[in-house]
Amino acid sequence: MAILRFGSLRLLRGLLTLWFAVTVTFFLVRLLPGDPALAVASPTMTADQRAKMLADFGLDEPLLLQYVNYLAQLVQGNLGISFRQSQPVLDILLERLPWTLMLTGSALVLTLIIGLPLGVAAATHKGGTIDRIVQIGGVVGQSLFVPTVGIALLYAFGLGLGWFPIGGAIDSDVYGFEAYISMARHLVLPALSLVLLQIGAYVLTLRTNLIDALGEEYCNVARAKGSSERTVVWKHALRNALLPTTTLVGLQLGFLVGGAVLTETIFAYPGIGRAIYESVGQLDFPVMQGAFVLLAATVVVANFLTDMAYGFLDPRVRVS
Amino acid sequence: MRNSRNTRAGLRGAAIVAAAAVMMAACTPSDPDAADDEGGTSGEDAGDASGGDLRIGTTADVVNFNPLVGNSRTDTWVTNLMYPSMMTLNSDGEKVPALATEWGYGEDGLTAWIEIRDDLEWTDGTALTAEDVAFTVTAVKDESLGTVSGMIGAMEDAEAVSDTRVEFTLSRPDGAFLNSIGFWMPIVPSHVFGEAPTVADFANDSDWVSAGPFVLTEVDRGQRYVLDAVDNYPLAEGGQANLDRVIYRVYPDVNTQVLALRSGELDLIANALPPSVVKELSGDDSLELYSVPSLGWAHMQYNMRREPLDQVEVRRALAHAVDYEAIRQVVLGGNAVSANSSVLTPTFAQWADDTAEEYAFDPDLSRSLLEDAGFEDANGDGMYDDVSFEMIYDTGDPIISTWAELVRDQSAEAGIEIELSGLERNTYLSRTQDRDFDIYAGSWAIIDEPQSNFVLLFDEEGFINYAGVDDPDIDALMEEASSALTVEDARGPLQEIARIVTDEVYDNVMYVEQFTFAATDQWTGFDPKPSELLSVVNPQSLASVRPAE
Amino acid sequence: MSRSRPEGMSDATSAAPADPMVLPDGGAPYGSPRARTWRAFRRNPLGTVSVAMLALLVLVAVFAPLIADYPSGYGTEVLSGPSAQHWFGTDNLGRDIFAQVVWGTRTSMVVGLGAAGLAIVLGVAVGVSGAYFKRLDTPLGMLVDLMLSLPVLPLMILVAALAGPSVSTLVVVIAAFSWPEVARVVRSQAMPVVTLSYVDAAHVIGGSNRWVLFRHVLPAVSPVITVSVVLTASRAVLSEAGLSFLGLGDPSSWSWGAILHNAQRSGALSSSWWTAFFPSLAILLLVVAATLCALAYNDARNPRTRQDDHR
Repeated sequence: MAILRFGSLRLLRGLLTLWFAVTVTFFLVRLLPGDPALAVASPTMTADQRAKMLADFGLDEPLLLQYVNYLAQLVQGNLGISFRQSQPVLDILLERLPWTLMLTGSALVLTLIIGLPLGVAAATHKGGTIDRIVQIGGVVGQSLFVPTVGIALLYAFGLGLGWFPIGGAIDSDVYGFEAYISMARHLVLPALSLVLLQIGAYVLTLRTNLIDALGEEYCNVARAKGSSERTVVWKHALRNALLPTTTLVGLQLGFLVGGAVLTETIFAYPGIGRAIYESVGQLDFPVMQGAFVLLAATVVVANFLTDMAYGFLDPRVRVS
Repeated sequence: MRNSRNTRAGLRGAAIVAAAAVMMAACTPSDPDAADDEGGTSGEDAGDASGGDLRIGTTADVVNFNPLVGNSRTDTWVTNLMYPSMMTLNSDGEKVPALATEWGYGEDGLTAWIEIRDDLEWTDGTALTAEDVAFTVTAVKDESLGTVSGMIGAMEDAEAVSDTRVEFTLSRPDGAFLNSIGFWMPIVPSHVFGEAPTVADFANDSDWVSAGPFVLTEVDRGQRYVLDAVDNYPLAEGGQANLDRVIYRVYPDVNTQVLALRSGELDLIANALPPSVVKELSGDDSLELYSVPSLGWAHMQYNMRREPLDQVEVRRALAHAVDYEAIRQVVLGGNAVSANSSVLTPTFAQWADDTAEEYAFDPDLSRSLLEDAGFEDANGDGMYDDVSFEMIYDTGDPIISTWAELVRDQSAEAGIEIELSGLERNTYLSRTQDRDFDIYAGSWAIIDEPQSNFVLLFDEEGFINYAGVDDPDIDALMEEASSALTVEDARGPLQEIARIVTDEVYDNVMYVEQFTFAATDQWTGFDPKPSELLSVVNPQSLASVRPAE
Repeated sequence: MSRSRPEGMSDATSAAPADPMVLPDGGAPYGSPRARTWRAFRRNPLGTVSVAMLALLVLVAVFAPLIADYPSGYGTEVLSGPSAQHWFGTDNLGRDIFAQVVWGTRTSMVVGLGAAGLAIVLGVAVGVSGAYFKRLDTPLGMLVDLMLSLPVLPLMILVAALAGPSVSTLVVVIAAFSWPEVARVVRSQAMPVVTLSYVDAAHVIGGSNRWVLFRHVLPAVSPVITVSVVLTASRAVLSEAGLSFLGLGDPSSWSWGAILHNAQRSGALSSSWWTAFFPSLAILLLVVAATLCALAYNDARNPRTRQDDHR
């Protein structure tokens, strides 16, 4: 029962976040200068055509009514029709969403895989050279300017060494296993730039938590029982240190997914972050809003999934 | 941290990895899918074609596949290859036959006709006939589609009188009518576009039907647009394109795009290259550069509805404060020619006036013009009082954004303060539409028919008369020019208009850009045409490209 | 607001690192806490170096006119590499990049500090209200959580594009999406203070809310505010660079982001490394110095390992 209660509360929280995201963008888009009506109507139109155009997109109604309509449509999975492309927004965006998920997802996995040993090494050599390098490296990583790093990576590994392709997410004319190889090759550089950007936060947090855990009573007990330091670190301390470190994943997702805008632009990666930027340039409000809602939904779903997995595995879970 | 930690060891980590795995799994199905679309396309079945794939870089996605609605550059590049125009341009900027074979006006100028080829057909087997032409122009008129609708104000009716002949009735003589629709209007298949309730709403986003050298077969938004060669394209030598496929690939950042060209991932970049890139690439032996002139011009317009810009002395002072040669040399890296400050630019040899002269760069002249007009610098700060202007431009245009800064700095030398307002494109368009600016910096992509285009520019009600020109002399001359049915008759009044425009500084034409495009030396046979829209990616050019020996 | 947060840039303000890079002398029995903190801080080489770096950048910003001429007009040597004459090379119009970086320090600092100042005011107001007025805590906490889970950069892009590019837009936009972080940190710092007995006592002897807030709560959170200013400002500089790079910056002032945008749009990024390298380096130095400075300050302030953070 507790898990049901926990689940529904988490779900509610996720829905609330989503509603908030939708509301914020809806009103931001409409209350800021830059009239949506201007965006759809072309200047050559006659007054009648203009009025009809606005009516078609529901832009002639009061703002609150537009808002209610938008929410009602959204619940049915309808994100509206693009101003520019005469196509449903959802169709346009669903083509792009998987790429963003793959880019950020693999960046996340890579970060964890690379970050774990680094954090352990830093914590177990506290104050030593490795520790210093990891700490400073972590701080430097998150201070880098993504596009510059991106171009440098492309120049070195794309043009210079020719190891990886410059742009896109997959070659055309590849099938089956080859397709996966091609996807992986296109993924390496953009994912690497995202890993560089965020790994510092994970490593530094893991390090702190691990040092903390190593000083705990149960580690001393384990040591007293004759466990090797390696066992103490990997079996006892790390398990506890990982927990607060991984809560970070959910929280950093918004940052990561947002950061994908710059990465996707530089690496010509066909994700949704770029779709946001492009739709801003075209004043395509439905796409802009839809893309943002989908990004927020991604973050919410990922958080919900981790929360639920967590809840299932630990019966004593409480909602704070 | 109110949660107790000790019991949940690592589970969260496992959950995260699982979630990430779900994400990965969620994307993979879409990819084999994308690959599946490719088998058995016409290009591969085309028999003798063995020209390979030409991979072309563009910085933007196709926004709209409907050629009568879409108006971005990439839209045009892609749809041009499927929906033929009746005329194209030769290198002198003159209209020459493409789909059309002959055209002309009736004696009184109130009728017009076009004959088209009889050997084109759509890829679904339907013949391309005069019916399609009549359908297209009627839809454009009835639904006010795109820029073409602004050019056919004189048309009352269009009728296909045979499979190859269309006849038009006009409400007044318009010597530019046929050239305008001939060049600007892509012909769409009536049996496909006619099915939609309105042509404007037709997205045309699948099952494309083409009468050009290529047909779109695969779209990966954000990545690529694949076009296969069609079997039968009589306008190409040999009856079909040499290439197997044309693949447009999207690289939003120009720097990445250039890296892709240099690494061999691209064969050609469709966007005109920034001057500093031209310089860099011109030293690369493995690349071929192609240069074509613009069909328009870059300019500044001074809003004469506002004081003190309504005084010609002030406008002249502004015009003489800028070093145009420096802008062409430094900002454009020499890839531009002077328009001699005339709206009849040298690109169109048949109209240009040899006696036109550029505004001299002379800050002292600017100062004395302003002083003659009664302006003074009372507080001695080196700037004339009450002479401060806001200049708007589109920050999306890298070249104009750059010279805007130079214009500001140089005008300050002449005691004129200019405040820059770099705007996002749509804000910029709406400000110009509302005539809400002091100085407008921008460019026309194509002004190909001065006879009709000048009305848009200089008529009091003109759609793009941003400066607020309202001059009875010009009105009379425009009347004379637009009803002239031959170049010879139209040239005189047009040149007179251009002289007035220069004298009164109604429009300050700064230069005509030379666009440069780069391709790898693996390919030959490009047919470059003027303007960034046609350039090396026009249908004739891409139909004749073949691998270099 | 119950989750643990990352350290480093995204959150050096809240969690006191368990292991200071150089351990200060634990419970020194003499001197005020402030003096002890300062002594410990000075002993940390990373802290002092980063403070020196920040001070240097501030000096450059203040004295920009004495260091280099304002970059304008054009020069004859277009895109020439670093040389004795042009230390950082020249851009596509032959303008000196060293001068641009120097003047860019000014704009970037103004944007950074402006945004940070605004975000701090908002964040402190929300954070302190949350801690002090129990009834507001849940709704404010919820708002902060919601704001924190939004993808921020896309929102900034949206607002900046619609509101039109200018320095003030940038400041407001960045501040509008940075304050929740500050609010969260300030709240957690203020929470223990308001429950302390002397605050209750102040109420008993008739101190007004306002008096208690200004006398007790604000001084207690002032250390985290100091750290927040530095960190938020440095993050704002990164955000400014990102937005400017996408063409949403102020076209009439040089900032580091503007230099990078100029390099990007002229296509010089891939061929002339110096056009991007030096402004990126300036950003890197500022952000790294700010982060290390904040980390060192936290280390110095908490002599013992997070006594209050986990149980």
